[in-house]
Amino acid sequence: MKKSNALLGLAGAIILISLIAWGYQVNNGLIVTNMRNPFSWGLYIATFAFFVGVAAGGLIVSSSVYLFNIEVLKPFTRIASLSAFASILGAGAMILPDMGRVERVWKVFLHPNFQSPLVWDVVVITAYLIITFLSVYVQLLPDWKKEGHGFLNGWTRKRSQEDINSFSKKWSKRVALVGLPVAILIHTVTALIFATQASRGWWNTAALPPDFVSVAVASGTALVLVISLLAVGKEQFEEYRGAFRTMALIVAGSLVIHFFFLSVDLIVHGWWGNSEAEEIHALIFGRYGFLYGLEILLPAFTMIFFFTEKGRSSFKALMIGSVLLFIGVFAHRMMLMFPAFNVIPLSLSLSGAGIESWAYPVALGQLREGLPVFVSSWDYSPTLVEYAVALLPFGQVLFVVTGAMKMYNFLPQKRIESPPTNEK
Amino acid sequence: MRLGMVIDLDRCIGCRSCAVACKSHNAQPPGTWWNRVFTPGSSFHQAAVGKDGGLQMEALPVSCQMCDNAPCQKVCPTGATYTDERGVVLIDYERCIGCRYCMAACPYGVRQFNWEDAKEVKARVGYEAGYEYGYPVDFRDKDGRLVFTPNRPAGVVEKCTFCAQYLAEGELPACIRGCPGKVRTFGDLDDPNSEVSKLIRKRQTVRLKEELGTSPKVYYIAPAKPIRLEVD
Repeated sequence: MKKSNALLGLAGAIILISLIAWGYQVNNGLIVTNMRNPFSWGLYIATFAFFVGVAAGGLIVSSSVYLFNIEVLKPFTRIASLSAFASILGAGAMILPDMGRVERVWKVFLHPNFQSPLVWDVVVITAYLIITFLSVYVQLLPDWKKEGHGFLNGWTRKRSQEDINSFSKKWSKRVALVGLPVAILIHTVTALIFATQASRGWWNTAALPPDFVSVAVASGTALVLVISLLAVGKEQFEEYRGAFRTMALIVAGSLVIHFFFLSVDLIVHGWWGNSEAEEIHALIFGRYGFLYGLEILLPAFTMIFFFTEKGRSSFKALMIGSVLLFIGVFAHRMMLMFPAFNVIPLSLSLSGAGIESWAYPVALGQLREGLPVFVSSWDYSPTLVEYAVALLPFGQVLFVVTGAMKMYNFLPQKRIESPPTNEK
Repeated sequence: MRLGMVIDLDRCIGCRSCAVACKSHNAQPPGTWWNRVFTPGSSFHQAAVGKDGGLQMEALPVSCQMCDNAPCQKVCPTGATYTDERGVVLIDYERCIGCRYCMAACPYGVRQFNWEDAKEVKARVGYEAGYEYGYPVDFRDKDGRLVFTPNRPAGVVEKCTFCAQYLAEGELPACIRGCPGKVRTFGDLDDPNSEVSKLIRKRQTVRLKEELGTSPKVYYIAPAKPIRLEVD
């Protein structure tokens, strides 16, 4: 890629901005965010969930190719694994600035509470980081052997090229076998962090984990699609047309499943008509109607578009569909927070006074002129510092993907099963 | 031993003395209130609510409900939140990593985060310089866990401890002592002869959000006083 140096520079700048903002936040406390006691998770956790999803999708694609022998996608398994590795690295990093005491994070490993879904998530995400790394590693080994570079490959020197080729083939499949369930698990467990909480009606549904997985497959595949399109370029588009069509179909198909879960969940939330559900509906269709609209309409457009011949048969159409999907899925992640935190769990009904749901006010956590001391709702929107800090995983993914693709060959030249014969 | 509290809503006049005593004794930073008192139904404290001329006004104090099945403790990734041998849910300020999962999990809105350094913020909002309020020294439980410190470090979560520093001296929590209406009773729920156990047996009590299965150890005696206006 010719533009890779410029992209690496951009990624470096993004990471730098983010680290400076994070440093500012460490010095001043999380008060520099717009989160407060009643609304205690925001952009950081939403961004974390977004990247976990994208990461899960990547390995689901590359593992499926190995496990189910989907020939047409084989040239892109390396990119899919790399995309998964870069995204999970970003997700893992995003969680750190959200911690009030980030320097104590090691205590999670020293005193883990295995009842906590957060600890489960640490376990599966760490496992996934290792698996995605191994997935990329074993797939690149034959190239490294042939071209005499790479790392952690001293042991391959004494082996023959054929040995390494068959080793790579065998282990790519084995890693895929382990990787697929872990990929599904990382997003299942991330969803369980939310879904287990009976205090938050918006999260407390068994539909959340499968819905997260369906969104993960859609958005993760879309990222693999975008990276693959950029790697292939418009010139070679025709050559890989079949693969792109298949990826677009995977995106559209998993969005169908997503909309299925989304609608049954809305019905179950709404049908009984209790006051809490009515509050949630008032929030998603009223106060946060615009964001909810984005969450619904953009992925819906992509789904329909990718089902049409026009939507999946040109470079531009695939790019547009994927980018709109990313925006929609990001809105979806943000919408995890608004209806969850703006319905105060401690709500009381006073039948004698004809009041069905009265929210017991929560102490804001900040004393400042013009702000109430206790609130029953908090109009959260991220501060500039939060936006800057949340750039971190975006910079990381760009950096890792661009850097890796600049250094090594992630697009085998022949669409055949065996590793490529080098033509250089 | 399971320490618990009974709050008699018939007696509570909503004066918020308990909230103030709690705040001062426990050196809570500006904006943080472990103990709140509100008039349910009303957007203003001490304003009556009702319909058809039948007004009513109750006051409801809410602090940590000391759940037996505490979601905050279950979600805590490091075990910083724990239940001690007396059933008191506490936070180790030296182990809390500030992930705030417990705040999402708590159905009672009692958990509060130190969004900034307590000492700095006291100065910034104009609390008198050099005036230190509250229990003046650190308090550690018998295992050495830091469950009270006058100036909380930034980035940790805090909440009511049943005044752990006073319990250790055999004294009652500040809200109990500071209540002019003798609204609150404190004691061992496992001891059938304790005052709290007797009250729970004799009087009609409710617990907040009981349907969530959190099993709080704070009980409320439902108000039985007559509705004041035009009942007939």
